Amino acid sequence: MRFSRRLALGASMLALVIVAAACSTGGGSASKPTVKVGSDGFDEAKIMAEAYAQVLEANGYTVNRDGIGLGARKVTAPALESGQIDLKPEYIGSGLSYYDPTKATGDPKNNQQQLQTILTGKGGGITVLDYTPAQDQNAFVVRKDTADQLKLTKMSDVAAVQGQLKLGLATDCPTNPVCGKALKDAYGIDTSAATLLDACSTPMADALKAKTIDLGELCSTQPDIIVNNFVLLQDDKQTQPADNISPLVRNDFLAKTDKAAFSKLLNDLSAKIDTPTLADLYKQVSVDKKDIKDVVSTFLKAQGLVK
Amino acid sequence: MGIIGDVIAWLTDPAHWTGPSGIPTRVAEHLAISLAALVIASLIALPIGLYVGHTRRGGQSAVNVANLARAIPSLALIGIAVPITVLVDPQVGFKVLPTLIAMIVLGIPPILINTYTGITEVDRDLTEAANGMGLTSRQVLTGVELPLAASVIMAGIGSAAVQIIATATLGAIFGFGGLGSYLVQGIAQNDDAMLFSGVVLVAALAVGAEAAFGFLGRALRPHEVDTATPALLEPSQPEGTPAVG
Repeated sequence: MRFSRRLALGASMLALVIVAAACSTGGGSASKPTVKVGSDGFDEAKIMAEAYAQVLEANGYTVNRDGIGLGARKVTAPALESGQIDLKPEYIGSGLSYYDPTKATGDPKNNQQQLQTILTGKGGGITVLDYTPAQDQNAFVVRKDTADQLKLTKMSDVAAVQGQLKLGLATDCPTNPVCGKALKDAYGIDTSAATLLDACSTPMADALKAKTIDLGELCSTQPDIIVNNFVLLQDDKQTQPADNISPLVRNDFLAKTDKAAFSKLLNDLSAKIDTPTLADLYKQVSVDKKDIKDVVSTFLKAQGLVK
Repeated sequence: MGIIGDVIAWLTDPAHWTGPSGIPTRVAEHLAISLAALVIASLIALPIGLYVGHTRRGGQSAVNVANLARAIPSLALIGIAVPITVLVDPQVGFKVLPTLIAMIVLGIPPILINTYTGITEVDRDLTEAANGMGLTSRQVLTGVELPLAASVIMAGIGSAAVQIIATATLGAIFGFGGLGSYLVQGIAQNDDAMLFSGVVLVAALAVGAEAAFGFLGRALRPHEVDTATPALLEPSQPEGTPAVG
């Protein structure tokens, strides 16, 4: 009993402090409420979320980072829809496929619009802001020796020599229309004997390195490609959905702030992030083991996005 | 309610019972690697357990080392094994060996500990009586200690089998098939029916193994010893069964 009473006292005092803090920081700038930022669990998503957070902080917003690295889309999508987080970076192609697996195309504009149409009706309305020039797409890669030996530069080259290649594809390949079906229809590649591994994962890269597989499915900004000198085969028939990255923001949050100014901050940031930039930031964090906050802050300062 | 119906529908769909990713193939793969791991783990753990139990030397350190192995997360073990085993063979060394090694390491402790415990808990009066009757050390082990400890040892092999069958699912992360591929693909494909069917199948195998070894253990209870070598048992301890560890 004593314990719970003390706990209750503690809780109410904590609440008081929070209210007081909110009042004091709120004060004149009531239009800059706390932003609850979230993201997927892998480094690249965390880098984008951290970049949003730092830009917003530099412009007077308070940021709650509890949701950064929250988990896969199965976790972050409901978190955003329920208001557990206000803002998260989203891959517009994969994000669209999460809601409707038939709609994503190789055109980012289309993916953004389609995703916006769906998200307008989710969780009281969610806005898709501008996407980055950077794309983190599904990328089919081979080892350098394989590429040289079989003269592979693009996916159309694969069908003719597929008998000599052991494929490693994503675990959702059999049912994912942009994987098994697209490879068969667009390139004539038979994927039925492929070894199924988590796409863009370390096991996939390891399997390729170990020659367990000869062609693997990684992500285009994945550091393993640079580090292992893998050759990225061009998706010349544009089968893979355009996965540029957009901030998703809850409309009820935007209503509490200066929507145009808030959007401009994130749109200006997104415009500066192209594929090589993102791949480099990703490599600094995941291979060079630098701190995400430092990597992001160095980048933002170099770009003049924060002072 | 919905998911139970979905799982039943998935499990009874004839399409899921054929081909390289059909249930029979996956169960066969799962059982094959599990059996291999169990046999190898037994070949390592049984002699050590019998030796330290029989001689009562180094028992505590053997048990401690075995328990230490238990504490290593299997996934970490696989991760450590991969770079070494791929040097052996790019296919087997990546898809099979790392998981097999993790399964063996996990399988050894219960077998070793139960063997050691089973042997040491055999009543000393019995072994001394056997010695006194002129039995050699080896005859005491095979004729007295082993039969009396058999059900405890079998219980150890049973719990190793359950561990091994559960661990085999991790192989799917590294491209080994088995029932784990239903779990990995079920998650990736957002297919709960496949995911939970995989869970049901793995659980069924594990429970089946447990039951089979439980039956074997009961069949090996020392009442057979009773009739075979009645002189060794006194009426006051007809069972002579050590506590199951």
